[in-house]
Amino acid sequence: MKSANKKILSLLALTLTGNAAWASDQLIYGIDNFDLLIYTLGSVLVLLFFAILIIALGLLFIVKESLKKAPKTAEDVAFEMEGETGWKGFLARINAAKPIALEKDIIMDHNYDGIQELDNDLPPWWKALFYACIVLAFGYLGVYHWWAETDAEPVSIAEYHYDVEQAEIAKKEYLATMANAIDETNVEVAVEASALASGKKAFDANCKACHGGAGEGGVGPNLTDEYWLHGGDVKSIFKTIKYGVPAKGMLAWEAKLTPLQIQEVSSYILSLQGTNPPNGKAPQGEKVAM
Amino acid sequence: MIDNEQQHKQETTSANLEHFSYDNVIVKNFAIATMFWGIAGMVVGLLVALQLAHPIFNIGEQAWLTFGRLRPLHTNAVIFAFVGNGMFAGIYYSLPRLVKARMYSDLLGKIHFWGWQLIILSALITLPLGFTQGKEYAELEWPIDIAIAVIWVVFGLNMIMTLVKRRERHLYVAIWFYLATFVTVAVLHIVNSLALPLSLFNSYSVFAGVQDALVQWWYGHNAVAFFLTTPYLGLMYYFVPKAANRPVYSYRLSIIHFWSLIFIYIWAGPHHLLYTALPDWAQSLGTVFSVMLIAPSWGGMLNGLLTLRGVWDKVRTEPVLKFMVVALTAYGMATFEGPMLSFKNVNAITHYTDWTIAHVHVGALGWNGFLTFGMLYWLFPKMYRTKLHSLKLANVHFWLGTLGIVFYVVPMYWAGLTQSLMWKEFTPEGFLKYPNFLETVTQIVPMYMLRAVGGLLYVVGALVGVYNYYMTATSGKLQREEEASAPALQGSHKVKRWHEWIEARPIQMTIFSFVAISIGGIVEFLPTYFVEENTPTIATVKPYTPLELKGRDIYIREGCYLCHSQMIRPFRSETERYGDYSKSGEFVYDHPFQWGSKRTGPDLARLGGKYPDSWHYNHMLDPGSMSPGSIMPSYPWLLEDDISVDDVPAQISLMRNLGVPYEEGYEEKAVADLDKQAEEITESLINDGSDTAPRKEIVALIAYLQRLGVDAGQASNLPLK
Repeated sequence: MKSANKKILSLLALTLTGNAAWASDQLIYGIDNFDLLIYTLGSVLVLLFFAILIIALGLLFIVKESLKKAPKTAEDVAFEMEGETGWKGFLARINAAKPIALEKDIIMDHNYDGIQELDNDLPPWWKALFYACIVLAFGYLGVYHWWAETDAEPVSIAEYHYDVEQAEIAKKEYLATMANAIDETNVEVAVEASALASGKKAFDANCKACHGGAGEGGVGPNLTDEYWLHGGDVKSIFKTIKYGVPAKGMLAWEAKLTPLQIQEVSSYILSLQGTNPPNGKAPQGEKVAM
Repeated sequence: MIDNEQQHKQETTSANLEHFSYDNVIVKNFAIATMFWGIAGMVVGLLVALQLAHPIFNIGEQAWLTFGRLRPLHTNAVIFAFVGNGMFAGIYYSLPRLVKARMYSDLLGKIHFWGWQLIILSALITLPLGFTQGKEYAELEWPIDIAIAVIWVVFGLNMIMTLVKRRERHLYVAIWFYLATFVTVAVLHIVNSLALPLSLFNSYSVFAGVQDALVQWWYGHNAVAFFLTTPYLGLMYYFVPKAANRPVYSYRLSIIHFWSLIFIYIWAGPHHLLYTALPDWAQSLGTVFSVMLIAPSWGGMLNGLLTLRGVWDKVRTEPVLKFMVVALTAYGMATFEGPMLSFKNVNAITHYTDWTIAHVHVGALGWNGFLTFGMLYWLFPKMYRTKLHSLKLANVHFWLGTLGIVFYVVPMYWAGLTQSLMWKEFTPEGFLKYPNFLETVTQIVPMYMLRAVGGLLYVVGALVGVYNYYMTATSGKLQREEEASAPALQGSHKVKRWHEWIEARPIQMTIFSFVAISIGGIVEFLPTYFVEENTPTIATVKPYTPLELKGRDIYIREGCYLCHSQMIRPFRSETERYGDYSKSGEFVYDHPFQWGSKRTGPDLARLGGKYPDSWHYNHMLDPGSMSPGSIMPSYPWLLEDDISVDDVPAQISLMRNLGVPYEEGYEEKAVADLDKQAEEITESLINDGSDTAPRKEIVALIAYLQRLGVDAGQASNLPLK
């Protein structure tokens, strides 16, 4: 129920803000970029449709009115004289501008270094825009504050918690469909060339900076010798990569690499054993017989 | 109408006609300064654009030529030197003519001119040296801030005294804008620059964290409003009707849009802080006042464009109008885009990206740049009593500039959207699709290159313009004094319409403007400052150690905040990447705040403990070694230079005066503490093969970086619930 309300509120917010086009990952919960694109295009189309509809109705109305007025006013005559017919006439009329020939009626008694001032009416559409924006402002405050359900926490934080919850659910559902989720209790060394190749790729992208391009060590320990700080079997290596050793500066990669990738990297690291690259860092930790 | 004309004739032929002259020399000086600093600011802009395309342009790994130090130079030069001088040139030309009185004092004018140039010169020297207060567009250190305030008052005094001595009763709309500019910039500048000095070129904002952020963006946003917008609207109201030779379209539109603009603008600052730790209610006020600002902003554009009714054919031939029409159009686009970016859902996508950079350049290059050029195309032939040297070159300038803007902004919009979508994309397993921030940078580097091309076109166009102005000047002779005559103001003024009570009285105008611009700031700031609920404290957040304070000084000096934010927004894509979202209580000891406004690099709010000390050491020495393909410059001098510990006790007591709870007498122990912490870091660095010494700057910087976000809970790769 809460979720449905939220959806409605967010859609209301989108409509109100009039630019659903750029809905964030916050307002439309748990959607990917493709959905975003669809929402964007969809809402742009809807808005365009309404815009065109309003303009078309407005034009119709103006045409009708102008046909109705049989006796021409002085303004009509002046506009025609000045060539302000058709599109130009339309522009002059939506701005409620005085025809240039009749400007003497609205000229002010001001003269500043030769600059004079007319006193044309405020363009009606501009006035409408101003009023609409003021109404919109109150609507916006309503959606985000007055009618918002969450009193306990700010709306942006409530949105966040909701978003994370939804993502967790989606993730669980997705993972449930994947057979044999790999973890540190069941991981095996991968030996296929393709697995080692993608392991190397992940290693180069993420591990090289600290452990060296050939695993010779640098900021982090040498991975090619038989000495290990946190165990040298595949399960231990998998665990070290997954959770990291924060105290020693080893990052936890759980959030950045998939279990499969961690398995591949672990296997690739084990394949480096005994390669004895140049500039190898001195051994650290305990010797582990392979 | 006929009555008016007769009355006017009577006035001008009456016996008490007074003779006086307008001073063109000061206008010429400001115009030359505009061009000189304009080109300088644009060239520095081109250089920083190239630095983002490739770090090799941080020439010779010299500290003073790195992006972090030159970017403030670029922004300050363009805002305060180019637009500033342009504004003064236009005001010193138009104001005396609009009120039929010479500027009040030649001496004040000279002090104003030379004072302003000296301020710019001091900025040119101090910013590359790293003397900065660490707040965007308000980087200049406190002695320069004081000089700015003094010179600004000189300018205001000269302007208001001219109005007191005027010969035209009713003030023209341009002057309303000039007065609002004077009053508001004074208020903004003084409040935002409030700082306690530690030495001649080092000071600390009196505000901290959330409050500092609110004040800064109240300032930053309204610097755009009252330094880049209102004075230029005033100039537009003079030069457009002059060049078009048409009456201004609507007096009542002037009134409505002037008052609504200055009243509403001041509230909109918090839209720079959406989804940050700023209280939600303040964020929403920022949003809704931005939305309500659309119509008032467009009022200025409409009044300008509709003034051209009946003379649009002139736009085809008259360079002044050509430039000003594009300027007004750019103004209309930017002032529509701004409110759109203020919607939270749009801002969630565009903020911290190059979209913002594109947005400000539509304003800077289109509105300010083109209006300035248009104005100069008017001023030079007029002041030198000659014709423009070459219409053809003016057209070349126009098209190079226009193309330059397009080539600048389109790649930046594209880059901003691309990067933002990459930041936010997840895989079905629930991982970030691009966990490595660098991937999202290298993706848009080609856009950075294109942007530099756009910038280059614009600079070349500006140079063509300068050449044209110069040739125009040499073909004529400067009319130093322009004779004029007008009757003195006589008797008391009969108020025909109630609002003339304000519009015909400069002092009332100034006071009412002041009231209009004060309300928004007060309503937003006072509760944020005084109501504790708005900034809940966190018990575990402790003051920085002396070594970390030194490191923070270096962080500010090198301008790290120009590329790195310290503000994690409450989005899953951000908490996944950076750790838990930022809370206001984490920043209570941050004088000044360092939230940043752009992520050219990743957020650093929870950097502490994420990497080993030696990673930072190697990364600062050569970012590419730890992050291949990085566009961050190298900072080799941090490994060479020593920190000074002489001022540590003074720094501690200064911080205590600002409200940071160091225990009494901690000054005595501070240096020992600093050394102890430095020893530990040095030891860990040496163990990992990096040779250093405890007093090196790099050690202090690492201490600060390793502290970031640690107090409020260690950075975690897991999203915290």
